[in-house]
Amino acid sequence: MVSINYAFKEIWCKIVFYGPGLSGKTTNLQYVHQKIPPQAKGELISLATDQDRTLFFDFLPVDIGKINGFSIKFQLYTVPGQVYYNATRRLVLRGVDGLVFVADSQRTKMPENIESYQDLLENLEGYEYDLEKLPLVFQYNKRDLSDVCSVEELESTLNPQGLPHFEAVAIQGRGVFDTLKCISKLVLDQAKGKQVVSESEVLVKEMIVDKSKPAPPQSMADLEEAKTPASASLFPETLESLKEKEVDAMGQGKLSIAPEEWSGSPPPSGCQPGHSEEPLSSQPKTETEPSTPEKREGFETQKEEKLSEGFIYDGEEKRQEGGPPPPQAKGSPTIISWSSARQKKEIKPKGFFLWRFLNRLIKR
Amino acid sequence: MGQEYQVIYEEEIGEIERILNRLVKNSHAKCALLVDKDGHLITRLGFTQSLDTTALAALLAGSFASTKEIARLVGEPEFSVLFHQGKKDHIHVCLAGERSILAVIFDDRTTLGLVRLYAKEISEELATVLASATKKKRDKGTQMDSDFSASLESKLDDIFSEGEPKPTKPSNLNG
Repeated sequence: MVSINYAFKEIWCKIVFYGPGLSGKTTNLQYVHQKIPPQAKGELISLATDQDRTLFFDFLPVDIGKINGFSIKFQLYTVPGQVYYNATRRLVLRGVDGLVFVADSQRTKMPENIESYQDLLENLEGYEYDLEKLPLVFQYNKRDLSDVCSVEELESTLNPQGLPHFEAVAIQGRGVFDTLKCISKLVLDQAKGKQVVSESEVLVKEMIVDKSKPAPPQSMADLEEAKTPASASLFPETLESLKEKEVDAMGQGKLSIAPEEWSGSPPPSGCQPGHSEEPLSSQPKTETEPSTPEKREGFETQKEEKLSEGFIYDGEEKRQEGGPPPPQAKGSPTIISWSSARQKKEIKPKGFFLWRFLNRLIKR
Repeated sequence: MGQEYQVIYEEEIGEIERILNRLVKNSHAKCALLVDKDGHLITRLGFTQSLDTTALAALLAGSFASTKEIARLVGEPEFSVLFHQGKKDHIHVCLAGERSILAVIFDDRTTLGLVRLYAKEISEELATVLASATKKKRDKGTQMDSDFSASLESKLDDIFSEGEPKPTKPSNLNG
């Protein structure tokens, strides 16, 4: 919760670094603490075990300086990454204004990333956050190691909604400040109450308003029409609702990943080990930048594939009739996507189950 | 919850400081801090110059939150009072209203009983002030004008830069 103190002319915001154990959350804070000017930082407090593993949280206050007469201050927190510290993680999330999800890019760590992200969503739901409005940035850390997943893989797994993401090597400081700048800006934009709308989004909104003013898109044709590359913008209200409708229509609330996909020896195509030789490209998908066509293509293709598989509302039925196997493997960890978590409360239309039951009876 | 704001105005701070001043005087405590449950310092009074009140606020909030969780595990809704005893200085922490925590730091010049007595009385008063502050509908904005984003970006570039910190641009400072 942003705290505005008129007496001291201060605005306090809380940013939490979340992610699996040993993904580099504390390293991020340590680097920030090392590099920012002394007048801008407070003491870095680490509540850690004897082995330097975060026990409760790390805390670093950062003073940005005065803007419009108000002193802008950030409280940077990390959470303990280990699974069994969930209770403390939940406590640290209390009153959060912005989140950085620090993912470990190593292929073997992918199940942990997924589990941690799912855990984040569950904990936020516990606090009844409006997930649609809570700023979130992804940081794909440890890009210098070998056998790391490609950014595309990480994006499609953790961030299909296309929120800003950064590649990083936190221990060398690469990508740390880019991530922090982005989340700081998002949080303060949010605090200011400013609607972050990109030019392309405005165009799409105008198109939608013109074409379908009275009613939201009902048919697949409408949904297809609404799907444009401009949907990469951050939390676009109209497009997000369309996406949600689409996800709901597909009957797919969950994205599933089989752990063996990530831990297995043959890497999936697209992953390039030895990424350390390549220069890091920190390309946040911010609201003002147009989305890269390749990224969006991947996202669109993924969605189109699902649509073509007939996951309209009776996906299960079609799969049984000889369609491609469901993407969810047995015993695989599931991940609730950011957008699908938002519309978790939505229920399938009344009579859906009755209709399916009758349909099955008729077929027999 | 995440999109709520906690706004504290001068009048409330004035009233809160008057109350805290009474507490510090009557109980002979060293200082008192009012912290919200998210770890933000609302105000402090007394000998706080040597203290890192920002870090203290965050740690107190964390400590209180973890104690609440412990209480839940043993079947209590909340432990409303915490006491940390040191060799010279001690801290008494209690709830003030639904969202705030009152911490009183004192030494052997006074007693726990006295601090506890006044802290309890004061916390009820503080709760009333904070509750009325929350209810008030204010028209004041946060006075963030259109050049806020430009100023912010410039500030962020200055602070979060890899090399030496750049000199601040006076044109972006309004206060």
